Amino acid sequence: MSVKTDSTPVPTAESRQRQQTNLEIWSERLAALAPLWTLVVLGLLFGVASQGSFLRSVNLNNIMVQSSTLAILATGMTFVLLTGEIDLSIAAVMGLTGMISAKLFNSGMAEPLPTIIALGCAILMGLISGIASMRFRIPTFMTTLAMSMIADGLNQWISGGKTVFTLSEFMQYLGSGRIGGDESILRVLTVMSIAILLLGFVILRYTRFGRYVYMTGASKSAARLAGVNTSAIIVACLVISSFLAGLAGIANAGRLGSALPLAIPSYLIETIAAVVLGGTALTGGRGSMLLTGVGVLTYQTLRNGLDNIASIDNFMKVFITGLVLFVALIINVVFSGKAERDRT
Amino acid sequence: MNTMPVLELKNISKRFRTLQALDRVDFDLREGETHALVGENGAGKSTLMRILAGIYSEYEGDYLLDGQPVHFNSPAEALHRGIGMIHQELSVMPELSVAENLFLGQQPLTPFRMLDWRKMNRVAEEELAKLGFEHIDVRRPLEKYSLGTQQVVEVLRVIISGARVLIMDEPTTALSPAEIERLIELIDVLRKGNRSIVYISHFLNEVMRVADRITVLRDGKKVTTIARTETSVDALISLILGHEIKTEMPPALIKQHERVMLDAKDLTADVFTKINLQVGAGEIVGLYGAIGAGHFEVARALYGLYRFDQGSISVDGKPFPRNFSAHYAIEHGVAYAIESRRKSLFMDEANYKNITLPHLARIARIVPRQAQEIKVAESAMKVVGVYPPDPVNPVGKLSGGNQQKVALARWLTFPPKVLIVSEPTRGMDVGAKSDVLSILRTLANQGIAVLVVSSEPETVLAVADRIAIMSRGNIVAHMENKNLNKDILMRLL
Repeated sequence: MSVKTDSTPVPTAESRQRQQTNLEIWSERLAALAPLWTLVVLGLLFGVASQGSFLRSVNLNNIMVQSSTLAILATGMTFVLLTGEIDLSIAAVMGLTGMISAKLFNSGMAEPLPTIIALGCAILMGLISGIASMRFRIPTFMTTLAMSMIADGLNQWISGGKTVFTLSEFMQYLGSGRIGGDESILRVLTVMSIAILLLGFVILRYTRFGRYVYMTGASKSAARLAGVNTSAIIVACLVISSFLAGLAGIANAGRLGSALPLAIPSYLIETIAAVVLGGTALTGGRGSMLLTGVGVLTYQTLRNGLDNIASIDNFMKVFITGLVLFVALIINVVFSGKAERDRT
Repeated sequence: MNTMPVLELKNISKRFRTLQALDRVDFDLREGETHALVGENGAGKSTLMRILAGIYSEYEGDYLLDGQPVHFNSPAEALHRGIGMIHQELSVMPELSVAENLFLGQQPLTPFRMLDWRKMNRVAEEELAKLGFEHIDVRRPLEKYSLGTQQVVEVLRVIISGARVLIMDEPTTALSPAEIERLIELIDVLRKGNRSIVYISHFLNEVMRVADRITVLRDGKKVTTIARTETSVDALISLILGHEIKTEMPPALIKQHERVMLDAKDLTADVFTKINLQVGAGEIVGLYGAIGAGHFEVARALYGLYRFDQGSISVDGKPFPRNFSAHYAIEHGVAYAIESRRKSLFMDEANYKNITLPHLARIARIVPRQAQEIKVAESAMKVVGVYPPDPVNPVGKLSGGNQQKVALARWLTFPPKVLIVSEPTRGMDVGAKSDVLSILRTLANQGIAVLVVSSEPETVLAVADRIAIMSRGNIVAHMENKNLNKDILMRLL
């Protein structure tokens, strides 16, 4: 039975452990990256099915642009979901900040004041939801839901239900400007979203605050016993999420060329979907910011890919998107869940 | 007593990779018998018990039930044949009523396939009355009752689901002495009802009271099976350890308490009143009480986790503000290891992350470097002797004793002024226990004020210089740990 160990020199406890688990470690690492493999497979599938039109650089660039706003939102949402909480107000906050900065600009205020004030409002909203939740022990699910109605209501009130078409140059630059002249393919929004996502990654992975975020999500009681102020961490994450939603709102208005008097609710669900597609657990403590980026790309690939396949009936597209999303979720969540938590 | 074995294990062996957990062990259980399994952690009791209960289905050897060979692939199969297990951590649903808990998973139904509440409550009442627990209201939520009662309900639930063999894993760890008495009475009743019980416990005094026969395991092998009447606690301990008991405690340093490290004055909250406690540098004080006496809450209050209405706390002469936080306590030299390792440790996370978390701010203002964290954790783990000493190993993969060592190692990185430990040795084997206790003594000898909060008299007696005894929220006695024994402590409760 144990012939093998008898015939070889006795390894140290450590090296024996390594030998036994080398293969396991690799399979774990591969499984942890399941969202990435899903993205690659989806991309290849669409590439073949669309006879190459999906993989054209114009289209890939399109996906990047479409992903940008979502990536900013998803960065904030990843912080919140990692603590085991949720922020339902992002879509409404997004709409509100676009409107506030547009209205202030039109009232004669010079940039960057309108942007700063709008972002200040976003921060305040996150702060209020967070403090209300922590102080009165109301689930963030409810406080941020209420906050989403408050923000959307304010938006409607301020705008009087009218879309604002005159935006500051700064907003337009954020939303549709290009770095290095109009011919450049480098969009300000794309670069900004990648920078934000990477910054989020660095904060989560390498800073003390990031560790506290993970530990708060992994076990609130244990984190509190270790002296972590879990309430403050959760409030901070809600503030980050709200701030980034505000930034996304201003940039998105700039991209569309108008500030809408209503929130676009689908942004909320799409953000959560993208983060979960990246393998972040809704229960907290587990997930990675880079994979959130992958999740965002996967989601947009899904939305975009079918448009490139001419033979598909237009009325079937949503149905197929739903099916593929289902399968992708199962693969990503099951595999990255099975893999051991980030070993850093 | 019928001597025909209900259940028999013959030549059972079980391997986990390189570890021989059980090596040709025989075990038999007679009808109406309480058969205790004792041994250190790692001796194989839990493995044997899991084979009995159908949790492990792969093993070598024979399992006979009523003389017939059987093989269980799941606990459900075992329960179906009348073998039920009561886990150390209760698996009751506190929010459900007593009756619902008793019928969990097998609620009686009306002819229309709806829950038959009336029948459920009636049968529950009958079953409780049969065993002398008619004072329990079956309609109340179980959480309204004490842990002891919850334990009783769990036992009854397994019996109602048809078990004639009950496997009890450390049933008394969380119980107060009075509740233990009641459980022992229940075991007597069950014995008279011809149920057979496998009783696993670290508490040899209890084993000596409830068991008819005792099987001692050591290193996966059966040492012996003896009748209770032919042995004693001391004899059992030497059988378990394989040698005479050695005490390797470092000697207590004699200290004048010129430096009071922890000074609590007149602490009052809902569950305790006017608590006065002083712990000097280098001293170990035991705070002993039955479950529910309020001593655990005092510990939490000292760490900023339990709000108190009156009184003051100062550490090393420095008064703490009114509603200080755990973070404040840590920064001002208070460390606290709570009774539940599951609640205080991140089981899926690496040892080093668990150890450095309270001190991250001191290790690095903003960006902690992994290499440095690991170094810090490694040296702390070496001091307490965690095995295996791998800092990136998740805590959840360690044994209970080693998890507790990690929980202590956490506080060694930056030695605190005051260390509060609740139930430092709960659920541990003899060896791990004495390891942990001697770690506490070593820490005290370095000048740390140690407060050991426990409901296990053995623990405080073994380690404390002074003992304060709490009963119903008050400190009722306070004495030097000289010529004290369990009887004295129990009498004061």
